[in-house]
Parts: sequence; C-alpha cells; structure tokens
Amino acid sequence: MGSTARSLNKPAKKPGKAAKKVQPGPVEVANDELVVQTIVDLGDRLKNSSSEQMTLTDVISVAELLTSSLQPLLRRIDVTLQKELRGILMKIESLRQDISKVHADDIADNRIPEVGKELSEVVKATEFATNSIMGAAEAVLAAEDKPEKEYRELVTDRMMAVFEACSFQDITGQRITKVVDTLEVIEERINILCEMMDSHAGKTAPVLTESEKSKEKQLLHGPTSGGASQSDIDALF
Amino acid sequence: MSLDTSSPILVVDDYSTMVRILRNLLKQLGYENVDDASDGSQALAMIQKKQYGLVISDWNMEPMTGYDLLRQVRARAETVRLPFIMVTAESKTENVIAAKKAGVNNYIVKPFNAQTLKGKIDAVFGA
Repeated sequence: MGSTARSLNKPAKKPGKAAKKVQPGPVEVANDELVVQTIVDLGDRLKNSSSEQMTLTDVISVAELLTSSLQPLLRRIDVTLQKELRGILMKIESLRQDISKVHADDIADNRIPEVGKELSEVVKATEFATNSIMGAAEAVLAAEDKPEKEYRELVTDRMMAVFEACSFQDITGQRITKVVDTLEVIEERINILCEMMDSHAGKTAPVLTESEKSKEKQLLHGPTSGGASQSDIDALF
Repeated sequence: MSLDTSSPILVVDDYSTMVRILRNLLKQLGYENVDDASDGSQALAMIQKKQYGLVISDWNMEPMTGYDLLRQVRARAETVRLPFIMVTAESKTENVIAAKKAGVNNYIVKPFNAQTLKGKIDAVFGA
C-alpha cells in the first residue's frame, strides 16, 4: 500500500452509523469505525484535491484500501445474518412444539363434544328423576281413599322409588365435575397459547402441575356416554 | 343362603347423598346394620377393625378408589373372601372386567333401583 493510503489509515474520532447498527464486539467496532473514518477521510481528500494532483498509485491505493477494509465487514455481516436466520428457525421450531402441546385437535374433537354430551346426560337424568319423584307424589296423593294397609304398602313402595330417583344427584354431580375439569383443561391450554403469544423470548409451554395431571386423569373416569348397560355387565358375571 | 339382616354392611361412597340412598334402600330391604366410609382408605381401616358381612363400594373416590380398596381387600388373607359389590357410574367394559379380575362379586351401574340391589345381594349370597 502507498504512502497516501497509509496517511489515510488513522484512528477514527467519531463512530459512524454503520458501526452502531451491526452491534459487534469492541475490536470489531474499532475496525468498523476505522473503515468508516478511512472512507470519510478519503472522500474529503478527493474533494479537496484537484484531478491533476491524483496519481495512478493514489487511485490503486484507494481501491486496495476500500477492498481490504470492506472484506471483514462483509464477512461479519454474512455471519450475523446466518446467526439471525438460525435464531428465527429455532424460534419457529420451538413455537411449533409448543402449539403441539396445546392439543387443539383434542379440544375440538374430544373435549368440547364430551362436555356437550355430559351436559345433555345431566339434563336427561334430572328430567327422569323429577318425573319419578312427581309420579311417586301423585301416586301417594291419589291413594288417600285406599284401605290403610294397602295405603301404607303403596307409600313405602313409592318412597323407595323416590330414594332411587335421588341417585341422580351422584351421577349428575360426577358429570358436572367432569365438565368443570374439562373446562379447566381447556383453560390451561388457552393459557399456554396466551403465554406463547407473549413477546418474551425463549418462553415454552408450561409443564402441567400434579393437580392438572390429576384432573386430566379423572376425566378418563366416571359416568360415560355409551358405556356398558347393567344387562351387559350381568352377562360378564 | 342369604345375607343375615343383622350382618354389618359397609357402604363406601364419597357422595353423602348416595350413602343416604343406599342406607335407606338397604333399610327397606331389611338391613339396618350399616356403616359408611367416604373413601377406600377409610373403609380399609374400618374393615381391619370390624368384621363386615358385605362391602358395597363406589369406584371413583379420592384418595383411594373403590378398585384399589377391592385389591387391598383381596390381598389380605382375612378379607380375601369378603363379599364385595361395586356400585358405580363407571360403566366402561374394560373397568368392569378389571374389577371382575380383581375379585369383585358383583357390579351395579348407577343409576339403579332397589330390585337391582336386592338381586345382586341375593346373587352374591346364592339366595
């Protein structure tokens, strides 16, 4: 490199804009500043010089300086870009994994229809129980004129029917508990989605707590729609 | 042979309404010596202290289920033959089979009526 190039190759006083954007390490910042300052100085020198004073050596030196100074910068931009792209790729992969943990298909295909079925069974059971109890009450009221012995037997029989009908509370209770558990599972999964939407970097789907796992497990038990009937069970015994 | 009406019966259910219903139905059937427990572990402690003629248990209870209670009962030499009826809303065939394999004597699906209960008790005792 010629003397002109060497004279231009001095430390920069102020950092340039380009050096701020890339955010490299301290040594790289110093190099960037040097490149920018060198180019600024070169521009000033060319502006202040008349074309007659420019030699071929000067031009070659300037070209050499520009080429050699820009090479590390371009190489570093390439590495940074590669790093950023890899980061984006990893984020997409992590998001994909988190979304799969939400089991959106399970909510739409199983949980929601199951809630509907459970509530429908609750309606049926309460309707059946109400009719049974009302039927028993009507039968007792209608038997007022019967002989005492017969009346007593009828009342006892109808009261048994009332007890039997009251068993709906246990089953509907279990069904409603399943609905509540299902809603809590859905709520948990929506929370996972919301947390994923959060702008905090590196967030992943939270791990289910023991109580949430227990709720999931309980959903597999209890009253079922379309389970075996008493006669099916009797056949097994 | 049928279950002696003075023989103690243990009803195990976490729903107090169901315990009450079973107590009343058993009373109507002539069985007045009835104790109750709200889960398997409480029932197991009671079974270890008192000799019951029959256990009528729900399946879904916390912390110990009726199924676990059944397995514990069958694992102990003193209670291996204790008559055990499951009365539950758990009607999945695989669960009924599991209970049968674990040694349950009979299985009633909720909701049920007094006749079904009587029929199953009679069936267990060969009446």
